[in-house]
Amino acid sequence: MQLFLEQLPVVFQSLNIGFLQTLKLFIVTLISALPLGLLICFGSISKLKPIRWFCHTLIWIIRGSPLMIQLLIVYYFPGLVLHTPLWGGGESGRFMAAALAFSINYGCYFAEIYRGGIQSIPIGQEEAGLVLGMTRRQIFWKIKLLQMIKAILPPMSNEIITLVKDTSLARIIALQEIIWAGQAFMKGSQNISGAIWPLFFTGVYYLVWNGCLTLFFRWLEKKLSYFR
Amino acid sequence: MHLLEVKQLRKSFGKIDVLKDISFSLDRGKTLALIGSSGSGKTTLLRCLNFLETADGGSILVNGETVFDAAQKGSISEEVIRQRRLHFGLVFQQFHLFPQYTVLENVKLAGQLLARAKPDYRGHAAQIERELDDTARSLLDKMGLSERVDAYPYMLSGGQSQRVAIARALALQPDVLCFDEPTSALDPELTGEVLKVIRELACQNTTMVIVTHEMGFARDVSDYVIFMDQGVICEEGTPDDVFNHPRQERTRLFLRHYYEQ
Repeated sequence: MQLFLEQLPVVFQSLNIGFLQTLKLFIVTLISALPLGLLICFGSISKLKPIRWFCHTLIWIIRGSPLMIQLLIVYYFPGLVLHTPLWGGGESGRFMAAALAFSINYGCYFAEIYRGGIQSIPIGQEEAGLVLGMTRRQIFWKIKLLQMIKAILPPMSNEIITLVKDTSLARIIALQEIIWAGQAFMKGSQNISGAIWPLFFTGVYYLVWNGCLTLFFRWLEKKLSYFR
Repeated sequence: MHLLEVKQLRKSFGKIDVLKDISFSLDRGKTLALIGSSGSGKTTLLRCLNFLETADGGSILVNGETVFDAAQKGSISEEVIRQRRLHFGLVFQQFHLFPQYTVLENVKLAGQLLARAKPDYRGHAAQIERELDDTARSLLDKMGLSERVDAYPYMLSGGQSQRVAIARALALQPDVLCFDEPTSALDPELTGEVLKVIRELACQNTTMVIVTHEMGFARDVSDYVIFMDQGVICEEGTPDDVFNHPRQERTRLFLRHYYEQ
């Protein structure tokens, strides 16, 4: 007990730093994957066949293979196979590689969610807009968008919560996120070694953060419940 | 001059000819009822008038001006089509109200978007917005919905929804107002209130084309009736001609099915 209390502040400080990196990866991925997904979504329902084909293939590859392998390929392929190290060796290089892999991966998942949202809107909404003399752009922005956001909110919150936990996969390229920080105390760090509880304790961080997100999405769903 | 003239309209979906050489005309202030069994092409005809489908042949004239000519289809930009379809309004069987807007906003929205795109909007914004608001409110009042202006579509009954949809179409003052089976999605006890407002519109000389399965209503409200069968006009004339003295065997058969119900 005495030992535990001594370890506690050291561990907390270390896990906080790791969690900050986790959070950073989460936010950067979200900010880039949300618009990227829209782009891939529009591509996958485009009238131009090559674009549609490209997007479908991309979605198939990205969703069909493990994110962990995608991370490894993005990080190691340029340096080890092409002999042009893109990322450099440091933490910032690892972060950029991880952010890129996560953005593409989640962009593809978001694209499919967007597509579901767009296709869930009855064709009658578009036709009603058309016969009232609206442009396609007005129909998208004024009529479809909000209905689409409402429709995709549940699957979207699901996917975003999964993203929080998936950031732990970046451990595989030694990104110093929270799992990495917790694991360090097993091997030995800051005079603590053989301690497994810090690793277990990282779960609490994920839980708290996902709890906040859940509350946020619940609030958002409530905000949009004024129409059906 | 006729307000609406449809000349030799043809439309096929793949190998199926849905409309074969449809021609008719309609004078200002008159009501045309389109009757016929499902699949006879009535709805496709309405959708061609509203540019939701592009006819393969024929032409459509409003006030003598050609708004559609199949000979030059494809060369007409989406922007021109958008302008021309404003000659027509369409009330759908399933209403298609915009769920995220209130009743009042549903009626106002299209007019606002059109007004804001015009150069004279800036400088007169407040006045234009007020006029749009007044127009929408008075239309809803006529529809008997002044109590429901702030309701959202999901709160309305089917009959109320359809009356909002009618007000929404009227707000743009189309030359011809089209109805696609306006009561087919309603419970029997709710059809009456919708038919009542359409009757009132007919009394106020609104030019209308109504696709309907309500034969009694078609007979009462229309000035002219067209009975369509398999993509052609099988019989046409005044309600008295078509309902009381049908000349075609096909028409008699169709009407008998209705009377037997």
